[in-house]
Amino acid sequence: MVRIENLSVAFDGTEVVKNVNLELADGEILGVVGESGSGKSVTALTLMGLVADTAQMTSGRILFDNIVLREAGREPDQELYRRYQGAEMSMVFQEPMTSLNPTQRVGRQVEEMLRLHTDFTKEKIRERVLETFVSVGLRDAEKVCESYPHQLSGGMRQRVMIAMAIILHPDLVVADEPTTALDVTVQNQIIQLLREINKREQNAMLFITHDLNLARRICHRIAVMKDGCVVEQGKTEDIFRSPRREYTRKLIEAVPSRLQRRVSVMSGRFLTGGAAGGELRQEAVPILQVRNLSVFYREGGNSLFAKRRRHCVVEGADFTIYRGESLGLVGESGCGKTSLSKAILGMNEDISGSVIHESVRPQMIFQDPYSSLNPAKTIGWLLQEPLRAAGVLDPSLAMTKGDMEAAAYDMLRRVGMEEKYFHRKPSQLSGGQRQRVSIGQALITRPGLIVADEPVSALDVTIQAQIMELMQGLQQELQLSFLFISHDINVVYKMCDRIMVMKEGKIIEIGETEDLFEHPAQEYTRQLLEL
Amino acid sequence: MRSKKQSGGKWNKYLTAGLIMTGLALLLGVVGFFWTPYSITAMSAGERFDPPSLRHLFGTDNFGRDIFSRVMKGLGTTVVIGSLVVLFSACAGILLGALTGYFGGLLDEAVMRITDAVNGFPSILLGLVLISILGNGRQNVILALGIVFVPSYVRIVRSEFIRLRDADYIRRARLMGVKRLRILFVHILPNIFSVFWVSVMIGFNNAILAESGMSYLGIGVQPPDASLGKMLSDAQGYLQSAPWYALAPGLTIVWLVLGFSLFSEGVRKRQ
Repeated sequence: MVRIENLSVAFDGTEVVKNVNLELADGEILGVVGESGSGKSVTALTLMGLVADTAQMTSGRILFDNIVLREAGREPDQELYRRYQGAEMSMVFQEPMTSLNPTQRVGRQVEEMLRLHTDFTKEKIRERVLETFVSVGLRDAEKVCESYPHQLSGGMRQRVMIAMAIILHPDLVVADEPTTALDVTVQNQIIQLLREINKREQNAMLFITHDLNLARRICHRIAVMKDGCVVEQGKTEDIFRSPRREYTRKLIEAVPSRLQRRVSVMSGRFLTGGAAGGELRQEAVPILQVRNLSVFYREGGNSLFAKRRRHCVVEGADFTIYRGESLGLVGESGCGKTSLSKAILGMNEDISGSVIHESVRPQMIFQDPYSSLNPAKTIGWLLQEPLRAAGVLDPSLAMTKGDMEAAAYDMLRRVGMEEKYFHRKPSQLSGGQRQRVSIGQALITRPGLIVADEPVSALDVTIQAQIMELMQGLQQELQLSFLFISHDINVVYKMCDRIMVMKEGKIIEIGETEDLFEHPAQEYTRQLLEL
Repeated sequence: MRSKKQSGGKWNKYLTAGLIMTGLALLLGVVGFFWTPYSITAMSAGERFDPPSLRHLFGTDNFGRDIFSRVMKGLGTTVVIGSLVVLFSACAGILLGALTGYFGGLLDEAVMRITDAVNGFPSILLGLVLISILGNGRQNVILALGIVFVPSYVRIVRSEFIRLRDADYIRRARLMGVKRLRILFVHILPNIFSVFWVSVMIGFNNAILAESGMSYLGIGVQPPDASLGKMLSDAQGYLQSAPWYALAPGLTIVWLVLGFSLFSEGVRKRQ
């Protein structure tokens, strides 16, 4: 059906895709898996004829139904492409918010596909759009048609995008990370939907993702890309069972999977078989106690004359974190995870109930390594700043310049970085390195508790594994406690001793990881964990 | 300057042209402070309206004074006043912008309404009003223009502080227990310099033009001090008989402003 032969694409003379050969048959889902920068998106965009003008095809050709769509050394034929785009091949993008026009009703935007490619009457077009909306699981199709993108949820928007992509029954659908921007439960539904569509329409699908687990659930075959090359290609099960390349094996191992048993840093701390979360042995020391905590949020912004309303975003939270333990906090976005963590850190003032710390100020590790380090400062300065601040707050903790510098160097080493980075600035570091510095900055004042808000979800899988290893190592070494917030169930499974499930501001379940996974008490937990 | 080098931008034509033009003008101005070919007040009845020659590079004026010497002195005056105006308004702008942007609330609301009011007047007009209240003289010109230009800096600094006050790294600094003033001026301020720097340079040009405009209207620097704007207005009556009298200060202003614009454009492109 689709054949990509020996494709190379270069930007400004640097090849980002090198001699890629891919083949796609009718009714087949081919997963292209790789870390960021591996060239998977560029390959797809080149196939679709959507790659930027600065990109040059240096070798190879692309065939669609045995017709040469594009060949190296020839200007792309825009007319030819326009005939295929939309009608024969279509694309689903990652970000459903930006791929829909915010000023137009979504119905109109989908209708446009039909207006451009068919000569249906107005009524027929309308009928077809509604039909397609129903087929992608948008129940109230009429209402969705009349909505603007911002009135729809992320999942609904992605369904609209999929409807748009399949309304002309194309032979090829390219899905570029279609679920990455969505919540886990929604993610699952979308994957299900894509699989159904593929079965029903028997079209070919190119599924691009960085998430191996996801690819495993939906793809028939998988191509693994690294540095612009396809390093391995084969049936999904074959690749997972017996990866031939070292890199593929590393990728598979890096993905936290439920098949790998987690080595608990707390092993032996909890008596197994306890009814509700396990009874504790005597030596467990609480480091944080949260009693009947509610967090409120005032709507209306900072302005002087704005009306203010008080919302309760966290309701009656009640739990304890013990020394050396990691407690996972899971839930969909908007469930109050972040508000709860902020309240624990004392960043949220409007609270009721009590938060009792048994250690010095807890610190936080943020999700985005690119915005959590001050770009104007050097790494060394950043690592020393917490010590300086602590010294100002409490003169008994004040250190000399030399001591602070030594401590910073020591921390740099502990988080696995070389001394030469001491005088560099964050912009010269990779995402993984930045996250290491972030961790170091949080740890340097030796807080007992660290709140980690999605600390690895912005990182590539192999880096993710390294950072998790580092965090676990440091946890053991320094007897740290983590409150680990994540939407990635597998990461939580790997990192945490106990898991707390939140839904709509309430903690609905809390228990030991293994227990919770095996016998979730709540239906919602089961749904969340099933993924 | 060190941070500029580290940002690793490329040298470009704007920067070269701008540096050469500004450098030349500044050199003339600086030399003018210590030495001019002729005394700027030396009149010579026999040499009235001499056209440009080797003896008098830019010719002479209606009193037979050497225009080149007067341009040198005027350049110095203009640049010094322009710089001080920028210094005053930028400092005030940073202080007010930082406080209002970071803390918001009542202070923010009050300061912003005042800046709106100041912005409502044309800058020259407001300068005129202030001068008429404060009286003539160098310091008062600087003060008046300084006040006029403060709002533009407040706005820029404020919006940058609003953008950064909720950045993750600022949140972390708060978590560490860093004191508020330190967050403002040690953690946030260095991050707005790239934006601020550009507006300072644009502001410098505006200040120079405003100072020339005020001198032209006769409310800037007073004679016998030379000023480019004053020279322009003096030359008005002789535009046809002695065009060089007006062209010399006029082109000098254009040269200085254009050079500085190119320079700031070059810096902006490097970032």
